[in-house]
Amino acid sequence: MAHDSRRLLASPMHPIFTHFTIALTASSLAFDALGRIFDVSSLAAAGWWTIVGAVPATIGALVSGVTSRRRLAMEEGTGRNWLRAHMALGPTFLGGLVASAIWRAATWLDGKPISWAYLVSLGAVVAALALQGYLGGELVYRFGAEVRERYVKLPNEREPAGEPPRRSRTRPV
Amino acid sequence: MTPLVSEPFIWRWIAIAIAVLTVIVTLESWIGHYRSGFPLRAQYAPLVAGIALATACLGLALVPRVEWVRLVVQWAGWVAVFAGVTGAGYHHYYGIVEKAGGYRWLLHHLMYGAPQLAPLALSAAGALAVLAAEGVASGAVSPSASVSRLALAVVAIALAGAVAQTGILHYRGAFNTPFMYAPLAVPPLAALGTGWLAVSPAVGLTGVVRVLLWATFLLGFVGLGMHLRGLDRQMGGLHVFLFNLLQGPPPLAPAAYATLAGVGLLLLRTW
Repeated sequence: MAHDSRRLLASPMHPIFTHFTIALTASSLAFDALGRIFDVSSLAAAGWWTIVGAVPATIGALVSGVTSRRRLAMEEGTGRNWLRAHMALGPTFLGGLVASAIWRAATWLDGKPISWAYLVSLGAVVAALALQGYLGGELVYRFGAEVRERYVKLPNEREPAGEPPRRSRTRPV
Repeated sequence: MTPLVSEPFIWRWIAIAIAVLTVIVTLESWIGHYRSGFPLRAQYAPLVAGIALATACLGLALVPRVEWVRLVVQWAGWVAVFAGVTGAGYHHYYGIVEKAGGYRWLLHHLMYGAPQLAPLALSAAGALAVLAAEGVASGAVSPSASVSRLALAVVAIALAGAVAQTGILHYRGAFNTPFMYAPLAVPPLAALGTGWLAVSPAVGLTGVVRVLLWATFLLGFVGLGMHLRGLDRQMGGLHVFLFNLLQGPPPLAPAAYATLAGVGLLLLRTW
């Protein structure tokens, strides 16, 4: 039981948190923009609650990202440079998100409509998020961060030349 | 419903911000003292004072009307002030006076010895906590309230101290990225503006100071990311976690800018 919980904690949690961050932040922008254009209060409420949810999800993404980095042995090179850019942009994005959430809370408390300035700044935060997501995607799909030599070999898959042998899903009988 | 950032609530939010600041300062002091191997028992003092202060501040945020909680916050605050000032004395004596070369090698010791101003961050957190306990009791957050102006003055002094310490350490780091100049550009202006408002509250200046404090708040997060990147520029990066945590840039220190700016913004909320 204890062994299972340790394995669960050791599993890559970073992608789980980041998907919540991406979905909630982008949804908040979409809901607030639509709420502003069509003057629908329920859309504005959805915009508020989604950005509120995005903040803890992003803190989780940051913490799990550091945990993932601790497990990852990556040599110097292009991949490592991209990883460092990803690490620098993460807390910067969190700062933008927290500032946007505070701005949004102040608007909500003052009972004012969402301003275009807020939407533009949240748009900039979402653009930073897109860049951060792109860097993260490249790290996994191009540079194999946390997946290279970890995924299980399919039964009919050949070893690429020069690659070390990987574990097979089928056990020898 | 009372808005969560109305006057009665602002000091509770400030108490939470002070708790976060204290946790940051305490963790940084643990990292620094662990690196030196805790040769003096006094090096445990900021950990004890910091944990007590952070806990007391969270208590103040949760139950502000309980009188003994306010009393505990004031005690913990004064203990933190004393621990910080004593720590600054220790850092000065063991970091400069007793080192080979002494004052003749001042710049070297300022860069590579114990950080001279770092313990005073705990004093600043303690002083803010004492004022927060006073503020919760009176409930006032306005230019006419002396407790608000005193708190604003503490924020200004703490920001100025943080800028001075950052300047020395970034100079040691040879300003290897242009981003390292940023804490020497915006926060000094924020400290100046905040100090000005504390001495002579002027309505016209409040907007400018708010913008500067927001920039400082964001800068704290940018610094957090850049220090994380700096840790990863060491051989092995965060994969060799403890070693590089001790040898790299202080990982949480830039967040102190964000928390101090946060306290300043909360104080200016109703100005």
